[in-house]
Amino acid sequence: MTFDFVEPVVFAVLAIGVIAAGASVVLINRITAAALLMALTFLCMAGMFVLLGAETIAAFQVLIYVGAITVLILYGVMFTKYGDRPYGLFFQRQTPLAAVFVFALAVPVAIWAFTFTAPPPRPGGGDLPSLATSVFTDFSFPFEVASVLLLAAMVGAIVLTKRDEAREFEARRP
Amino acid sequence: MIQLVWLIPAFPLAAFLIDGLFGRRWLRAWTGWIASAAVGASAIVAIGVFLEVLGGKQQTVVQLYRWIGVGDFQVNVAALIDPLSSTMLLVVTVVSFLIFVYSNGYMAEDRGLWRFFTWMSLFVFAMLILVMADNYLLMFVGWEGVGLCSYLLIGFWFERPEPYYAAKKAFVMNRIGDWGYTIGIITIFLVFGSMNFLDVFKRVEESAPAQSALTLICLALFFGATGKSAQLPLYSWLPDAMEGPTPVSALIHAATMVTSGVYLVARSTPLFAAAGSSLEVVGVVGAITAIFAATIALVQFDIKRVMAYSTVSQLGYMFLALGVGAPVAAIFHLATHAFFKALLFLGSGSVIHGLGGEQDMRRMGALRRKMPVTFWTMLIAGGALAALPPLAGFWSKDEIVGAAFTNGHVLLYAIGIVTAVLTAFYVTRALWMTFYGEPRDRHLYDHAHESPRVMILPLAALALGSVVLGIAIGFPPEQGFIHRFLGPAVEVPGAVEHVPELATILVLALVSVAAGVIGIAVAISVYVRHRPDATAIARAAGPYYRILVNKYYVDELYDHRIVEAARAFAGASWAFDIHIIDGLANRIGWLLSLSGTGARRLQTGIVGNYALTIVAGLLLVLVAYGGYAAGVFGR
Amino acid sequence: MVPLGAYIAVSAALFFIGCAGVLVRRNAVVILMCVELMLNAANLALVAFSRRYGAVDERGSVFVIFVFVIAAAEVAVGLAIVLSAYRNRPVVDVDEIRAMKG
Repeated sequence: MTFDFVEPVVFAVLAIGVIAAGASVVLINRITAAALLMALTFLCMAGMFVLLGAETIAAFQVLIYVGAITVLILYGVMFTKYGDRPYGLFFQRQTPLAAVFVFALAVPVAIWAFTFTAPPPRPGGGDLPSLATSVFTDFSFPFEVASVLLLAAMVGAIVLTKRDEAREFEARRP
Repeated sequence: MIQLVWLIPAFPLAAFLIDGLFGRRWLRAWTGWIASAAVGASAIVAIGVFLEVLGGKQQTVVQLYRWIGVGDFQVNVAALIDPLSSTMLLVVTVVSFLIFVYSNGYMAEDRGLWRFFTWMSLFVFAMLILVMADNYLLMFVGWEGVGLCSYLLIGFWFERPEPYYAAKKAFVMNRIGDWGYTIGIITIFLVFGSMNFLDVFKRVEESAPAQSALTLICLALFFGATGKSAQLPLYSWLPDAMEGPTPVSALIHAATMVTSGVYLVARSTPLFAAAGSSLEVVGVVGAITAIFAATIALVQFDIKRVMAYSTVSQLGYMFLALGVGAPVAAIFHLATHAFFKALLFLGSGSVIHGLGGEQDMRRMGALRRKMPVTFWTMLIAGGALAALPPLAGFWSKDEIVGAAFTNGHVLLYAIGIVTAVLTAFYVTRALWMTFYGEPRDRHLYDHAHESPRVMILPLAALALGSVVLGIAIGFPPEQGFIHRFLGPAVEVPGAVEHVPELATILVLALVSVAAGVIGIAVAISVYVRHRPDATAIARAAGPYYRILVNKYYVDELYDHRIVEAARAFAGASWAFDIHIIDGLANRIGWLLSLSGTGARRLQTGIVGNYALTIVAGLLLVLVAYGGYAAGVFGR
Repeated sequence: MVPLGAYIAVSAALFFIGCAGVLVRRNAVVILMCVELMLNAANLALVAFSRRYGAVDERGSVFVIFVFVIAAAEVAVGLAIVLSAYRNRPVVDVDEIRAMKG
């Protein structure tokens, strides 16, 4: 019995997962649910990476996206409240127009996307050795720059959210 | 001395600057004496120059300054000193000097005295430039300068509206003539490659250019001359110019500026002689203007108007002389006319001054008892104008009509004789109404007084000139000093010198004298003996009389046809400018403002809209990419 | 063997879903989530091309690593901004933030 049917099936499942979860993020009202669905999207995405043979990338995907970014988003959700507003009215005013544009863009592009074909691939191995080699030799400079970028982002985020204690003390004075 | 000829215009220029800058506050009454001294100094230098030319230096060019040098177009500031220009220099400076001295008295109580002498000095400067120039362009500088000063001086009493309108009219008519002059000199340059007198005249001889070009040049220049010298059709500014002070009328509108047209044509004799028919035009226009103006002068009541029309008429005589091929006679008459006409004007000014400003002859009468010197000098001048021998006017006018006859222009000769009769008539009438008879306005008569010495002396000097000048330089006719002196300068080399017989000369002279006597006799008959009575004639002539008094309605005609048309055009242009051009600019601005307001609506401040714009741009890019890839948009 | 086009189609679909979300949702945090979806879609496309076309040095995947870095940084800073804006006015409705109007 050949197991050739496994890959397409898994792909189909993962694809449906990605698309459905993604659409739900856009359409679901409750933010927490949306955040968790986003995490599900990321997981399915990681699965797709594995299917493609890029295990390292998949690992990173889970670590960074599902791990860090989802947590960050949840933090953001926690710290911002809707206040008295009801959960309704959650589409922007420009929604119809936006829908038209996006639809006009999406359909042709998606159709066109289907037409891509690739030569039959070389038998896989993982991607880790070549990836590691590239990053640390050819692309070592961007790698270092990326570190600096992260540092800058970290500092920036801290600076932005630093409480101005003096002002708040003044504001709270009777 | 000839090398110092630049001093002649320099003195009045200095006077202009000094009087103009310092006259108002510091110099006041001295401005007049400074200006007079300056012109006096110029006169002395002019005499010196004249004597040197007399002594044999026929033609000198004194280079003063390298002015324009652009490729082929070379024009310098230089003076051409020959018999013609030295004569003009002499006449202009001497007569100007006498008038300046006179003005010190006439304008003494005027608040704008300093302004008067400033402009007068500038005028003399410009006139001297005009006369001294060795090329058409520099002459044009002087030409324009005298036109400008004429405007400034006619409108001297600008607090009243009439002088202002008269000045504007004079300037505009001058400008119309200047258009002709400009076309003339441009064509000269195109045909001859130079604007220099000597160059042009030499080239006319050597290479005979096309008749059509020459005729165009000559007619264009003559058109300019009609504007400056008040001939038909551009004459009507001169009578109106009498709004200016009397010394202005004497200097500018009798002796100097109006003679520049005559000088121009005389100077350009080689051109006119080669152009054939242009001289005929000059002569005919001159003759018609002469008789036309004389008829108007018959019925005018303002003493200065009479003199103004007389000037137009006498200028017509000068152009008549040029037209029949006697440029020497024209210059001769220019010189004598400068003296006696200036005298007539200054004398009128003396009368006006003595009467406290009255100019209407109907209010004058019997003034000879009150103003004797003025009376006698004006009598002499009037006689000269009427061409009575042995006064100056007789010799010059006789030469003109004589030349007309001997060169075969019988009709022009007849017009000249008839005009002489009319001239004698109107001058007698004017003198009689002013000085004889019974005083028509008792009050004016009682207060009349003779003018001060500073005004009387120039009158006497001019009177002396009017008596002596004719005989001194014009006797015997056709062979006098002036012919020998000026002849080589203006006669066309090679033209036949046509000296008539003695008998012809005597007969012509007799006819001229008779014409004058007839005119005087008729005038005396009408006005002194009232046979027939003047008012009776006026009533009998009816409509003809009215036409004359209203100057043939020429001003009305010009106003209705030309000025109205110009106004309509100006109005149309204004409307075009306001509505279409400005409208276009305004509409473009409005359009931009509108588009701005519209574009502003994109700035909603809502970030989501901006993100949508980005997506829309992406859509556009993909459409373009797809179009190109699919070949829809061509290459 | 799943054809390459399938992966790219999924990527395109997810990208435009995220794009629609950015343009349509009001909550700022949800918008950030949708941006992450778009970035993921881009990553998928990159990896798919890289792995299928068989480049030796895996450039597509290297690029993906950097996209991870940038995405993380962007979420951090973005949330910081949202939080500090929230402190000013306790609103996270992007339709209400229009101080830059006109």
